[in-house]
Amino acid sequence: MRKLLNRPLPYFALYALVLLACSIPVYYLVVDRIWLSELDEHNHIIKHRIESKLSETALNPQELEQMLSIWKVLEPGTTLELTENTIAPKDSLYTITRTTDFGGEMETDRFRGLLSYFEVNGQIYQLRTETNVEEADETLTAIAFVTVLFFVLLLLGFILLNRQISKHVWNPFYDTLQRLATFDLNRNPEIRFEKSDIEEFEQLNSELEKLILRSVSTYRQQKEFIENASHELQTPLAVLRSKLELLLQQEYLSEEQAELIAGISVPLSRVSRINKNLLLLAKIENQQFGDVENVSVLEVVNDSLELLEGHISEKHISVEKHVLEELQVNCNRTLLEMLINNLLVNAVVHSPANATIIIELEKKGFSIANSGKEALAPTKLFERFVRSSQSDQSSGLGLAIAKEICDRYQWSISYAFENGKHVFSIQM
Amino acid sequence: MKILIIEDERELAADMVKYLSGEQYRCEVAPDKDSAMERIGMYDYDCILLDLMLPDGSGLSILEALREQGKQDAVIIVSAKNSIEDKVAGLKIGADDYLAKPFHLAELSARIFSVIRRKQFDTANVLQQNELKVDLPARAVTVHDVPVTLTRKEFDLLLLFLGNRNKVISKSALAEHLSGDLADMMDSHDFVYAHVKNLKRKLTEANYGNYLTTVYGAGYKWKA
Repeated sequence: MRKLLNRPLPYFALYALVLLACSIPVYYLVVDRIWLSELDEHNHIIKHRIESKLSETALNPQELEQMLSIWKVLEPGTTLELTENTIAPKDSLYTITRTTDFGGEMETDRFRGLLSYFEVNGQIYQLRTETNVEEADETLTAIAFVTVLFFVLLLLGFILLNRQISKHVWNPFYDTLQRLATFDLNRNPEIRFEKSDIEEFEQLNSELEKLILRSVSTYRQQKEFIENASHELQTPLAVLRSKLELLLQQEYLSEEQAELIAGISVPLSRVSRINKNLLLLAKIENQQFGDVENVSVLEVVNDSLELLEGHISEKHISVEKHVLEELQVNCNRTLLEMLINNLLVNAVVHSPANATIIIELEKKGFSIANSGKEALAPTKLFERFVRSSQSDQSSGLGLAIAKEICDRYQWSISYAFENGKHVFSIQM
Repeated sequence: MKILIIEDERELAADMVKYLSGEQYRCEVAPDKDSAMERIGMYDYDCILLDLMLPDGSGLSILEALREQGKQDAVIIVSAKNSIEDKVAGLKIGADDYLAKPFHLAELSARIFSVIRRKQFDTANVLQQNELKVDLPARAVTVHDVPVTLTRKEFDLLLLFLGNRNKVISKSALAEHLSGDLADMMDSHDFVYAHVKNLKRKLTEANYGNYLTTVYGAGYKWKA
């Protein structure tokens, strides 16, 4: 995953590269053209100077002959020669590359020349003026070098600017993201985003606020509905149960009738349990059970084991306690009792006879393990009404309540199947 | 013995009356706070069953008023709210026990029985049925003056039976009595059966009057 702002960067860079690469020949052509025209001008000026000087001084043919021979020896980049022509031909321009020997070192140079003709004493002379021009490859190299340098600067600039922009302009966006990431429907359903002067972000924030507000209100309604429904069910359930018990007291009740009544009271008990646990879940969610005290986990475990003693001995289950650390936690005692009870009851109910339950207390949590045949589905385990056994008694809410309690205190509860054992661990 | 049932749910109140009237109790019903206060002002009761959610106010205020008047009637809070806060508050103000709805009538009857005995007999709270003597505060049982050693759960079962004499008690009522909230998650009927069997065996070995009988299909009954 790349950041949004980094996404156009390679395209910008590529565009700049292509553009700058194309600019190299263009620059070269322009520079060369300017150079040549400048040199042509220069050569013309020289020609005019020589022509006018020669006509001013009015040398006789002998003197001219003498001067020309001296000229040939000195060779100052120009040659002046007598031609056979009777009419002066047109001036012409040319470019020539020549290799000269500089004391053993061969060097190739490019020259721009002007071939011109003028008349002195009725005779036509040819003047050749040549000026050194920078070679094409040297110009090209220099331009390419400068271009590459600018490309690198451009790229660095892009990256730096990108960073600055993302730091400042995108700040509200990242702030919104951060707030969304830490948003918890259960804990603090209020959410406020930072004001931004960028229209899109403001729009995003206001839409998000609306969305969250709707979700929160739906969630609240649902929670209230469950709570109210279970509340309303309490009394009819109580009446139903008392009627059944009265029915059981009738004289001359046949065994068949008694069995029917018992058959009703078992599912009725289960309905009452589910209802009670739903109410309990709602209460935990509603942040009831507010009293916090320092509770010893070992103490609660021992109390719970005492409560379960009958069931444990009946199934000939042995309990091993490994106390690596005397763990104390700040929490509501009732909730911790409920958590440990639920986990221990779970372990006892799902253990075969003669099994061993291992309870481990560590520095930062505890675990409860009991033997089992195969791993349970770890993701669904803590959901409501997900039952792994066919037991009719279970309300299917025990582990959901355990999870809710852990969530309340931001403890983590996890399940693992290790060495033929179901292990539930709580990290506090 | 007189019991006042403060309960706005008429059906439930009627069922309580029906169940408890079979015992030695005389029951009166007050469906709201006003009538409850009126009756409390006029009579003394051995036990008051108090619903916390009344149409004209919280039941806790009745309890407060009662204790302010210096009345020592035994009070059992019967509430659908089942909240720890209410339980703690109720017991603090001076309730003697707390029972969450929905409850078994057998459980209610046993609670009333032990609350009244505790209030009225204090330390000399010994219950006798012919050769069987139960010392409630000491949790000791003798048959023909020979001590019978019972486990805690067996003793609890015996109390439930003694509080519901001549009544059929269902296995689910017994299970909830024994395991409390834990019965929620336990498949406890076999567990109940094992404990009742042990209790019965120990008493039979001590040669008691075979008061505990099985009602086929329904549960158990303590004959008196």
